[in-house]
Amino acid sequence: MAARSTPLRHAPPAGPGPAARRARRWPKVSRALLFAAPGLVIYTAFVLVPLITNVANSFTDLNTFRPSTHWVGLANYRALLDDADFHQALHNTVVLTLIVTILPNVAGLGIAMLLDRSGWFTNALRSVFFVPTVLSAVVVSVVWQKILTDDGLFNRALHAVGVGSPPGWLSDPDLALYSIAFIMSWQVLGFCVVVYLAGLQSIPAELHESAVIDGAGALASFRHVTWPLLAPAVTINTVMLMITGFKAYDYIQVITNGGPGSGTTSTIAFSIVQTAFTGNHVGYAAAMATVMFVGIALLSAGALTVLQRREVTL
Amino acid sequence: MHRPLRLAALVAAAALTAAGCAAGGSSVSGGGGDKVTMTFLTFETPNLNAKYWDDAIARASAKVPGVTIKKLVAPSIDRTGYAKQLAATGQLPDIMIAVNPNGFAQSGQLAPWTDQELADFTYPHANPIGGKVYVLPFNTQPTPLVYYNKQDFAKAGIAAPPTTYADFLADCAKLKDAGINPIVVGGGGNDTFAATYPWVASVGTDVYQGTPDWLSQRADGKVKFDSPDFTKATQKVADLAKAGYIDTAGLSRSYADTEQAFRDNKGAMYPMGSWFAASADQTKPPFDVGVFAWPSDDGRPTVPAYTGGGMSVSSKAPNVDLAKRWALAFMEDKQNLDASVHADGSIIAIKGYIPPTDMGPVYNETLRAYNEAAASGNVVNAFNSETGDGSLPPGMSDVVNSAAVDLISRHKSAQDTVSFLDAQYDKANR
Repeated sequence: MAARSTPLRHAPPAGPGPAARRARRWPKVSRALLFAAPGLVIYTAFVLVPLITNVANSFTDLNTFRPSTHWVGLANYRALLDDADFHQALHNTVVLTLIVTILPNVAGLGIAMLLDRSGWFTNALRSVFFVPTVLSAVVVSVVWQKILTDDGLFNRALHAVGVGSPPGWLSDPDLALYSIAFIMSWQVLGFCVVVYLAGLQSIPAELHESAVIDGAGALASFRHVTWPLLAPAVTINTVMLMITGFKAYDYIQVITNGGPGSGTTSTIAFSIVQTAFTGNHVGYAAAMATVMFVGIALLSAGALTVLQRREVTL
Repeated sequence: MHRPLRLAALVAAAALTAAGCAAGGSSVSGGGGDKVTMTFLTFETPNLNAKYWDDAIARASAKVPGVTIKKLVAPSIDRTGYAKQLAATGQLPDIMIAVNPNGFAQSGQLAPWTDQELADFTYPHANPIGGKVYVLPFNTQPTPLVYYNKQDFAKAGIAAPPTTYADFLADCAKLKDAGINPIVVGGGGNDTFAATYPWVASVGTDVYQGTPDWLSQRADGKVKFDSPDFTKATQKVADLAKAGYIDTAGLSRSYADTEQAFRDNKGAMYPMGSWFAASADQTKPPFDVGVFAWPSDDGRPTVPAYTGGGMSVSSKAPNVDLAKRWALAFMEDKQNLDASVHADGSIIAIKGYIPPTDMGPVYNETLRAYNEAAASGNVVNAFNSETGDGSLPPGMSDVVNSAAVDLISRHKSAQDTVSFLDAQYDKANR
């Protein structure tokens, strides 16, 4: 009698071999690659390749008009250490970034709390605050330049109310950087308001009611309920604003062209363009760009790490 | 090949082909016409507006068949900076106007003009680079002359424009005493150049008058910006600012707003390039405008001027000869020259050219002031405008512009300013 073979109780079901499985998975992988391809191609072409090229250029003396380019090692980076113009640009960038990170964050939160209610007027105001955000930075710069020149609208208004010699908002080297920081803050304020409004509206009303029942006043409710739960919004706003401040170029180019005078409002991004395309020192500008890239990356990573630590998940 | 992948490969290939086609500015169309498309870089100002360029392009194109011109407009008045950006991405325009050839020429990106092509020009060898001319020297622009408000002068008791620097200072004092701001300058945003003109004029009278090749000597290291003559010229501007004779409000004004400030009677004197003459004649200010050369100590009528401003042709143009023919047709067309005189107050440097008879009084006075200086051999280079051998290294023009603002705003002393220029000059040549 032939023994009838019985399949093992726990044996895996019979199926295709590894080669067949790979063959079956391949269409899925190729389809996924197909969908990712446009993004990958664009990212590689417009981010990765320029980034790598820039870092490579930073170790050379590449000049727009010089036929031969030489490897100079770290010479460009060493020169940056002694470059007073770069130090001034770095200082200006840090000041600008600090103001543009703090001012719209604080003002945006305050305005968002005022607008966190329903009604047609509040809805209209939300749109009003957001309008500057959708405008081009160049348009905003031109408009504010007209307002803030020495004989512009703002100083004429100050004259009208009796201010004899109003400040030169854009012509005074000690004031111009702060004027630009204000203009940038004004434009990004709407973005902060929207992010904070979204954060505020995601906080369950019951939490505030519980706090009130527990005897919390407005300040305590803000401190113990609103502020902790707004942490994700704070993270988004802070990181976005830091990046905006650090890469400021268009406002400077249009409003002051780095002046008044020598580099008083020059930022790193502005110096890079000037150095590369006016001075023709592309290799040196590439070193500046690499420092700027590393700076933004470190600052963003640091801010994200610190801010995400205090985020609360409901 | 798998069907979706094949499709993707086709799409990618099509996109790359399209990108390749779009990157270049020039093309030769197919078919039997063989019409060549060439890019032409221009810039726009209140005087040289879009219509001026479009009309001039149409006239030149009518004379040179087979060319289709694709006009590019520089985003600001700094067309040289824009040309550099385009060159860096392999898109240098085929034809450019009023672009500083320094750097482009030395790196072989421009086609030199031959003596035969330059035969019609009055100063065929103006601003040469290595003995060759890369920009058609089609006009001369005195930069600056001093345009003044005749009514303001009369109000301050000034009977005639000053001829010596001492007279000039005395007139500034009279204007100030009469409650009139003596000198209008500009300098805001991208128009920092408009702050430099008192300085350019002082360098003309105090440096270039005695040493016409001073800047070449600086390039050779024989002189420095902190030399006594250049420092003296710089100190003159610092003293004007200190005395309150230059309106620092202008340092935040754009070029257009600066001209408007003079028109709005915010100052009696306006040191500016000769192109203002055209503007003043076309749209007359509510006062009579006069012209004089920035006075020198000894009263010689020194006029800083730049000759050039014409076309350059890329050595990589699809058809260099055709591009040159088109550029010459543009530059030598009588109607175009007349339009340039009318629109920009050009003093044409082409043999036999006679300006239109209907030119206004400010242009005619400008021409008279220039001719007077030229006749007595007192036309000098305009500092910061030179483009030939020995001119300022790339990037220095912006440095001079910003230093002028520092000087006028009294952010830097004259001595600090010249030391700053020397340091920046060395850095630019690094």
